[in-house]
Amino acid sequence: MNEPVVELDGITKRFGDVVANDRVELTVDRGSVHVLLGENGAGKTTLMNVLYGLYEPNEGEIRIDGTPREFDSPRDAIDAGIGMIHQHFMLVDPMTVADNVVLGNEPRSRLGFTVDREAAREAVTDLTARYGFDVEPDAVVEDLSVGVQQRVEILKALYRGADILILDEPTAVLTPQEVEELFDIFDELTDQGKTIIFITHKLGEALGVADAITVLRDGETVGTVDTSTTSKRELAELMVGREVLLDVEKPPSSPGDVGLEVSDLTVTDDRGVDQVSSLDFQIREGEVFGIAGVDGNGQSELVEAITGLDVPDEGRVYFDGADVTTDSRRDRIEQGMAYIPEDRQHRGLVMDFELLQNGLLGSQHDPDFAPGGRIDWATLRQHVEDIIADYDVRPPNPDATAKSLSGGNQQKLVAGREFERDPRVVVASHPTRGLDVGSVEFVQEKLVELRNEGKAVLLVSSKLDEVQQLSDRLGVMYEGAFTDVVDPDDVTEEQLGLLMAGQDADGVTSVPAGDFEAEAEVGR
Amino acid sequence: MNASDLPSSVRRLLGSLVDASVRERIAISVAALFASLLVGAVVIMAAGLVATCKEPFLALGGSSFCYDPWEVYYQLFVSPFLNDFNTALMLKETTLLLFTGLAVAVAFRAGLFNIGAQGQLVFGALGSALAVLWGAAFVPTGVVGSLVLIPFGLVVGAVVGGLYGAVPGLLKAYADANEVITTIMLNFVATNVAFYLVSTYFKDPASQSVETKSVPAVAQLKPVLGRFESTSFSVWALLTGLALVVVIYYLLFHTSFGYDMRISGIQPAAAAYGGVDAERLVVGSMVLSGALSGLAGAVYVLMVLGRWRTGIPAVGFDGITVSILASNNPLGVVPAAFLFGILKSGSLSISFALGVPKQLVGVLRGLIILFVAMPEFFRMVGLKLGVGDRQPVATDGGRPVEGGDDDE
Ligand SMILES: Nc1ncnc2c1ncn2[C@@H]1O[C@H](COP(=O)(O)OP(=O)(O)OP(=O)(O)O)[C@@H](O)[C@H]1O
Ligand SMILES: [Mg+2]
Repeated sequence: MNEPVVELDGITKRFGDVVANDRVELTVDRGSVHVLLGENGAGKTTLMNVLYGLYEPNEGEIRIDGTPREFDSPRDAIDAGIGMIHQHFMLVDPMTVADNVVLGNEPRSRLGFTVDREAAREAVTDLTARYGFDVEPDAVVEDLSVGVQQRVEILKALYRGADILILDEPTAVLTPQEVEELFDIFDELTDQGKTIIFITHKLGEALGVADAITVLRDGETVGTVDTSTTSKRELAELMVGREVLLDVEKPPSSPGDVGLEVSDLTVTDDRGVDQVSSLDFQIREGEVFGIAGVDGNGQSELVEAITGLDVPDEGRVYFDGADVTTDSRRDRIEQGMAYIPEDRQHRGLVMDFELLQNGLLGSQHDPDFAPGGRIDWATLRQHVEDIIADYDVRPPNPDATAKSLSGGNQQKLVAGREFERDPRVVVASHPTRGLDVGSVEFVQEKLVELRNEGKAVLLVSSKLDEVQQLSDRLGVMYEGAFTDVVDPDDVTEEQLGLLMAGQDADGVTSVPAGDFEAEAEVGR
Repeated sequence: MNASDLPSSVRRLLGSLVDASVRERIAISVAALFASLLVGAVVIMAAGLVATCKEPFLALGGSSFCYDPWEVYYQLFVSPFLNDFNTALMLKETTLLLFTGLAVAVAFRAGLFNIGAQGQLVFGALGSALAVLWGAAFVPTGVVGSLVLIPFGLVVGAVVGGLYGAVPGLLKAYADANEVITTIMLNFVATNVAFYLVSTYFKDPASQSVETKSVPAVAQLKPVLGRFESTSFSVWALLTGLALVVVIYYLLFHTSFGYDMRISGIQPAAAAYGGVDAERLVVGSMVLSGALSGLAGAVYVLMVLGRWRTGIPAVGFDGITVSILASNNPLGVVPAAFLFGILKSGSLSISFALGVPKQLVGVLRGLIILFVAMPEFFRMVGLKLGVGDRQPVATDGGRPVEGGDDDE
């Protein structure tokens, strides 16, 4: 079945001087899964936004089913059977699944004044049955996990008549289990003639599900390869143009004193439900403590309590033995805490500011950058230029706004800014989310380097291979508490999966979560 | 509302406004000014057609036009520069609006809509008048007296305005009360409390109206340039206002505190991440904004009236429009306040020189301001909706940025 359904021909998209897409060629066959690969800033998102009518290309032609089309807006694209699932879900949280799916195209009751809810429910039930989705139409969206919300987004696109589904890094926020489920859905959809284009940075995924893979580099098409004839290494090389280490080297740890301690920590949400319940652990200097778990099991709340964005309801947080539980966020920054937040666009960067001013975020009261409360632009510029160079932020222009950067480059900037703080404690929440293989390697190496320099590192990530590779000890979180703390070298993915689901896994060796005080005392 | 629901033509238009450079935006404002003049001319002709008068400036067939648009615009834009009285009137208005325009702009930048500039101004004015009346007993007359009393009056005005600005700030920070509502209410409170205080305790017994005694001559900001003798405009006040523009600009864009204000205004979640104490920042910004309004009040007392009197003009409210016109940029406040000054003085000349009704002049003024402010206004709308090429499209990584939402 080699019938092209989407043809992008010579697409060029410029933003000022930046050429995001440079005569890109892309042909996608009907009923196939097509993966777009490429380094951060290669132009993948831009290309998909062009196809979805969000951007008008400067040059080039879009053909759908062989017919040239011009899209003025996503409406036109939707009418042509294209649906896009953004990584940020555009769902209305307090509404039900059925309401969300039909939103904007509601079936009307006979007089046309009210929404026919029954018909809406039925339509959604039909859809879920047809594609074998495990989604309850009456469930309220805010109670659903990220993976299920994503399915609701897909349903929404299907309800609007999409034949071609575009997904921008859909797996970045999913757990391995959820990724599997998503790919099952892809199978079902393509069986029924739908076409899927998705962007990912995970080579294994691309090889696992794609029929064809198109690689972009610097805005240009490098080529399209058949999945059956390629390998991870080849793909990585195509993307980056050099060989990439797919494993980070980590020397044995030589931990020192306790750098970060969480004791009996409880955080409840607005509804009074415990998100973190009586959690205890210690991280020693020169050690990476990893936290694995399905998103929404209290990781975010734990991180916010540690970093000072939230005050815990009970329990204490200590830095180097000093109680910082009620210290402000600013105090904690000044005491040497670096923090990569999970949400770079919301928290980690001021999107309307240039990279230059973003480099100041968190250091605006640091006398090095603002002696006497007056910003020293020259020093700041030098610092930001160094970060841009070291972390390979592209385009390397300190005066570009943060929002003009690709997702991965935004992440590199945040990582660079935080790592270069010369911290004592590092809290990294999904530090490599959205990064290409080359940058993942770089950021992971940096984390290990910081650990080797004797920092206490807390790593939260939904990438199991990442937490397993980088951590010295690994806590598995479920419903606000650890099901177990394990030696990451001594546990299998299956065992982790069980632990993450809150079950016991046979045969894993637990390691202590803390209580190194005595030991460290002796070591001195 | 979602940007993609808009017709593409609207999206593109908003998008190009959002993407416009500063230079383009100034050009757009100037073009809007001319467009408003054209529309205004039509309005003037139409009004002249309906009106009856002895000597129409133009008679076409059976219809006669009473008002000559050229004459009207000449009075509106040129007469403010023609004689000292008109010029002083123009600059007086400009001066006062520099202070209140800055006050509103500063709060706006920190994400706060201070509609309370008027109330802060009223109290600042009263505080300043009373302080100077009290202090006058302790200082000698002459230059020394002026050098002590005038700064004293200004400082007290700023302090009182700042304290009154702190009230909505505290209410917002610690009781979650929306500053738009509280500042509107506090405007009424200020006007009425000041009226009560003056009429019961501080009234000038020799006067029929509700006003304080006149502050001594040494404490009044005198016109120093010969030309403006016997007018109520002082170059010193204008220079102070201009200096403050520079100070506030520097504060906002080159200091840590200004950085904190701007990130809080633009992206509160990032501000919290960056270590800004949201509560303290809200209070601090409102105090600063209130102090600038209070300063306007002090200048009004020391330069214009020489005393506090009920019925203070709406300089505080006009400051809101000035700030929007300036797109909340301190430097933009200067031309915006200047335009207001011209319009103020010019419309008075029209009323004096031509038989054009006051209401028509009001319509013209409104038209001009509306037109000039419109592109900026739609730009803000566009920014909120996230249209334009340089806007992020929320596709990868995290949630899109919603400027206003505070998740504290
Ligand atoms: N609105 C914009 N204004 C200016 N430049 C932009 C804009 N959007 C994208 N760019 C630039 O275009 C290039 C391609 O960006 P794009 O977001 O498409 O990359 P990407 O391949 O999706 O990267 P990532 O893997 O990091 O998400 C980048 O250099 C980026 O800085
Ligand atoms: Mg992208």
